[in-house]
Amino acid sequence: MVKLKFYGIGGQGAVTAAKVLSEAVSLFEGRYAITVPAYGHERRGAPVFAHIIVDDEPVLLNCYVYDPDIVVVMDEGIIDKKVDVTEGCTGSTVLVLNSGSEDYVSRYRQLGAFGDIYVCDATAAAERNMGLSIPNSAMLGALAKTGLVSIEAVEKAVADSFGKVGEVNVNAARDAYEHTRKA
Amino acid sequence: MSTQRETPTSTPAKRRILGPCSVVFTAANTGSWRLERPQLDESKCIRCGTCARSCPTDCITVSRDGCPVVFDWYYCKGCGICVNECPKNALSLVKERGEH
Amino acid sequence: MPFRMFDGNGAAVEAIRMARPGVIAAYPITPQSSIAEKLSDCVANGQIDAEYIRVESEHSAMSVCVGACLTGVRVATATSSVGLALMHEVCGVTSGCRLPVVMPVVNRSLVAPWSLWCDHQDTMAERDTGWLQFYCGTVQEVLDLTLCAYRISEHQDVLTPSMVCLDGFFLSHSMQKVSAPTDEEAWDFVGPYVRRNMYIDPTDVMFVNDLCPTSEYTEMRYQQKVGFERAADVAREVFDEYGRRFGRRPCTVEKYLLDDADIALVTMGSMSGTAKFAVNELRRQGVKAGLLRICMFRPFPAGEIREALKNVPVVGVVDRSAGLGAAQPPAATEVSAALRGAGCRVFSFVGGLAGRDISDGAFKGLYSELLDVFEGQAQSVNTWFDLKGDPMALREVDIIC
Repeated sequence: MVKLKFYGIGGQGAVTAAKVLSEAVSLFEGRYAITVPAYGHERRGAPVFAHIIVDDEPVLLNCYVYDPDIVVVMDEGIIDKKVDVTEGCTGSTVLVLNSGSEDYVSRYRQLGAFGDIYVCDATAAAERNMGLSIPNSAMLGALAKTGLVSIEAVEKAVADSFGKVGEVNVNAARDAYEHTRKA
Repeated sequence: MSTQRETPTSTPAKRRILGPCSVVFTAANTGSWRLERPQLDESKCIRCGTCARSCPTDCITVSRDGCPVVFDWYYCKGCGICVNECPKNALSLVKERGEH
Repeated sequence: MPFRMFDGNGAAVEAIRMARPGVIAAYPITPQSSIAEKLSDCVANGQIDAEYIRVESEHSAMSVCVGACLTGVRVATATSSVGLALMHEVCGVTSGCRLPVVMPVVNRSLVAPWSLWCDHQDTMAERDTGWLQFYCGTVQEVLDLTLCAYRISEHQDVLTPSMVCLDGFFLSHSMQKVSAPTDEEAWDFVGPYVRRNMYIDPTDVMFVNDLCPTSEYTEMRYQQKVGFERAADVAREVFDEYGRRFGRRPCTVEKYLLDDADIALVTMGSMSGTAKFAVNELRRQGVKAGLLRICMFRPFPAGEIREALKNVPVVGVVDRSAGLGAAQPPAATEVSAALRGAGCRVFSFVGGLAGRDISDGAFKGLYSELLDVFEGQAQSVNTWFDLKGDPMALREVDIIC
């Protein structure tokens, strides 16, 4: 069982990303997943969380994630918005960070809550491939680098979920996957 | 409505209906509620149709020929709205004499 | 059967689409909105051949459903929370006129305090309006129970509407993998709508829902009572058939490791999976914990619950409702009544209000309280769990003047 927590800003597609990840592991890897989005006031710019649990067996738990194995941060600036991304982290929790700035990477490192940190400028990848700064598909590509899910499954789920804009989203995911590095 | 009262509303083999509904319309003769009835002064009537349009139970018929205003006494409750609405004061309420 | 991905609202729409309603009237409300939106999409793109009647409130939505259903078509609507509360009056008309409407209700708290999030207070407030009530545990069950509800509600001997209750966000917005029948398989199971009771037909006139005299009201309520009694058997028959056809049998109550249990919790809805997870962990530690999930709340399966729990010494019932002023909140009241004289000690737990998460840790805490009672270390439990330190001091302001 792998527990994940997605942090994002309203409008970045964090909840959608969680649903697409659920599809990637469920339909294309024969595993199971549960997503519990924590909606607040649904507007652009507000911090958004989503909780995902992935397992080889049907997932019994249908509650929030309190001790994440993987934290996905879709907006590096979220630590400036009084959001504690280290909540429940063990020190070996894996971080997947959307950032193009070394300063932010070291700030996240200094929080002391994370083990491996994977960094990708997913917003730039989204802009390159889609002309839009919505990083959700790209962040799933970056997440694939951790080995949680295969990039092929992510691509299939992204293509299936985004309809007409499926192809550019797939390109963004693949691009981000290839540009993700371990910090 | 009157034909439906004469025709049975369910098939001859009995069928049960659950819950609140009525299939025998014994209370439909609202004309029996009348204490007063509208009466027409034909010399004042201009056949404008205001009374028919204002009747809440749609039981007034205004025609171009013959008697200008015909009431359906089976349904007319004698509410008097037509009397109030008539622009020529051609209608008045008179005491009901018991015939429907 | 191939797997497909749905969130709870999507699964509800899929089941409704498969049942081919002729008239739809739904007013959007969080967290039900995507049901109203997707139904509208389905009508617009031809996936459902129905008249979508836009309404200005839930009261009107259900009124439209009543009128449309009386003309002899299957109807569809869905609601949540205060929308259901506004619908309350017409819900009674629907059930009293024996119209077998099937309505997904996305569970959300009632106000005030204003909230958008999940608990069961909205549907519990409707528990005596003459509707069948099913509480889904997973997204798969939203699909299964909605399809089954058409068969149960529309059965000649039942003719009683159904609320298919799914937890707001925890199910409505949770993306899960679902095994769905094909459209043909589903249609073969649900079948076309047949008007079996009263109707609106200008060629065969009846006066529907007129003033009922005192001399007949009691009898008409008795008719409804008989419908509920038959509903329990019909539900089991329909669940059996669904299980034979599709390999998953929905249940009225789900028993989990109860046979040798010392302590057990009774749950409803999406929290139940988490509770099972906690039971598994406790079992590994040697604690004989069990679980009973109530899936069908109306008609209340009192006999089955008594049979399942009568040998469990200590039982706790988790209500996602406050039950203000009641001897016990709704589920606890009914379970206690079902277990009267059985020798079990029944305790009530209240929590999970307005979307407050009930974690596996919280469940372990509840089992721990029951275990203390079982082992004689406590006489009772703390009913309101996961409560902040001093609830009365939540707001403190300076006194001016």
